[in-house]
Amino acid sequence: MQFKSQAAAKPYFVAAIGLFVGQILFGLIMGLQYVVGDFLFPAIPFNVARMVHTNLLIVWLLFGFMGGAYYLVPEESETELYSPKLARAMFWVFLVAGALTILSYLAMPYARLAELSGNNIVQTMGREFLEQPLPTKAGIVVVALAFLFNITMTVLRGRKTAISSILLLGLWGLAIFFLFSFYNPSNLVLDKYYWWWVVHLWVEGVWELILGALLAFVLIKVTGVDREVIEKWLYVIITLTLITGIVGTGHHYYWIGTPEYWQWWGSVFSALEPIPFFAMTVFAFNMVNRRRREHPNRAATLWALGTGVMSFLGAGIWGFLHTLAPVNYYTHGTQITAAHGHMAFYGAYVMVVLTIISYAMPILRGRPCNSPRAQVVEMWSFWLMTISMVFITLFLTAAGILQVWLQRVSDTPLPFMVVQEKIGLFYWMREWTGVVFLVGLVVYVASFFIKGDERPA
Amino acid sequence: MAAAPRGLAVAVTAEALYLANLTVLPGLAFVALAVLGWYWRRADAPLVRNHLRQTLWVSGVGGALIALVASSLLFVHAEHDFVRGGSLWVVVVLYFTVVHSTLVLFGILGLARAMAGQSFRFPLIGPRLLP
Repeated sequence: MQFKSQAAAKPYFVAAIGLFVGQILFGLIMGLQYVVGDFLFPAIPFNVARMVHTNLLIVWLLFGFMGGAYYLVPEESETELYSPKLARAMFWVFLVAGALTILSYLAMPYARLAELSGNNIVQTMGREFLEQPLPTKAGIVVVALAFLFNITMTVLRGRKTAISSILLLGLWGLAIFFLFSFYNPSNLVLDKYYWWWVVHLWVEGVWELILGALLAFVLIKVTGVDREVIEKWLYVIITLTLITGIVGTGHHYYWIGTPEYWQWWGSVFSALEPIPFFAMTVFAFNMVNRRRREHPNRAATLWALGTGVMSFLGAGIWGFLHTLAPVNYYTHGTQITAAHGHMAFYGAYVMVVLTIISYAMPILRGRPCNSPRAQVVEMWSFWLMTISMVFITLFLTAAGILQVWLQRVSDTPLPFMVVQEKIGLFYWMREWTGVVFLVGLVVYVASFFIKGDERPA
Repeated sequence: MAAAPRGLAVAVTAEALYLANLTVLPGLAFVALAVLGWYWRRADAPLVRNHLRQTLWVSGVGGALIALVASSLLFVHAEHDFVRGGSLWVVVVLYFTVVHSTLVLFGILGLARAMAGQSFRFPLIGPRLLP
């Protein structure tokens, strides 16, 4: 470890992995509720399981991004973190706030939580992914501001690189767009319009900058390719991301009551959205092909390459599959969306966080990389999770195609719940593949405890 | 700075045309790839020979895998109850998506190899590497 204060990243990574396990457990509960409707009812109703599953995902990815930034920025800036104490304090604030929020989802009905948490003062709850009560949302803003202050001050007083600048741009964008979660107009069209400014401009905008920066950092470290080459690629990728992703928001505006021109703008620009992911995959493989050294951390290299491939498939291909307005007319809100969401989140954001963890965690634990045995186990977890995610996506896609056909295309369309019964087989297959994913995750966690011939950093 | 391997530009162009044929310019890009292959048919640079041979062959096999198999699936079952039940669409759309995205992904790997001045064999359906 080049700088002592990089150690601030470690608790963030540990919390991220812990919450990841929680997310998958609730995913399995919810997956079972698709086919056994009263499973765990009334203790954990479906809407609560879903909320916990998605909220945990967001929170653990944020932990991962913050941990990644605390590790990356001192090394890029060639200076200690501005305030390691602030980083540690904010970790606990975020963890406690996050845990209390999840517990409150589970402990009481959502309407009661809204009543207790001051939703009548500023109404922000009740919207998908932004279900957090007002104090939690305010807490997220406080933590984000403190985090950004810490990171920005570190960058300002040290070396400025393209990677740290793009990371900062992404993190500031993340914080700024979150502010739209406080805006909840009573007009439903306006509400959904700005809701996407958080959700879409996060995952198909500023988060991609964070993804690009983290990936570029790890690729420089594991390949030894010149920084100039990697930074040029990074500029191209983020330019493509922003050009396609910002106007691409229009693909969410087709059927919510916005003007019809969005069907053209949304279709054209979001059809181009696979291009940055395409470039990212070429980038990752090109850098590894041109590597100047054999880094001993083979697991981190595998995660980096996997990020390129899976984000291209999940976000690029599966996004394109249903992004054109005439197709989306039939597919919106079906299991095809769920298929895309699963593979895109896993391929782009889960994998990039696991990439930086895989690279940084051994160094934070005092060695350049894990023992070969531990790495083999970690690579097993890579394949188990990745292959099972491919099959989860395929089964959900199959369910989605049948759903579209039976519910929306057929001459004699069937009601929603009747169709759900008919596609139950695919839900079962998805559930079992989800179990394999959980096994992969357990193997991943186990890899941290495997000893071997460790070399000091 | 090390000199670029001989034939790098042609190899990269071949892989790029292979990808364009699968994505933005189906048919036209294949014609361009065929012309490129014909023009460089006597090239002795191993990089050029390798990438042209791979992309031309896999474009053909890939085209057959995508167009012929998907359309024959539809043709064979056109009057069958299976179609009316929607199950055929599950098979055809999944088949098309999986095969097409796999071919694109292979192309990306090939392009990255070409850009690095390295030879490449498409997994599963690529012809054997020349000695």
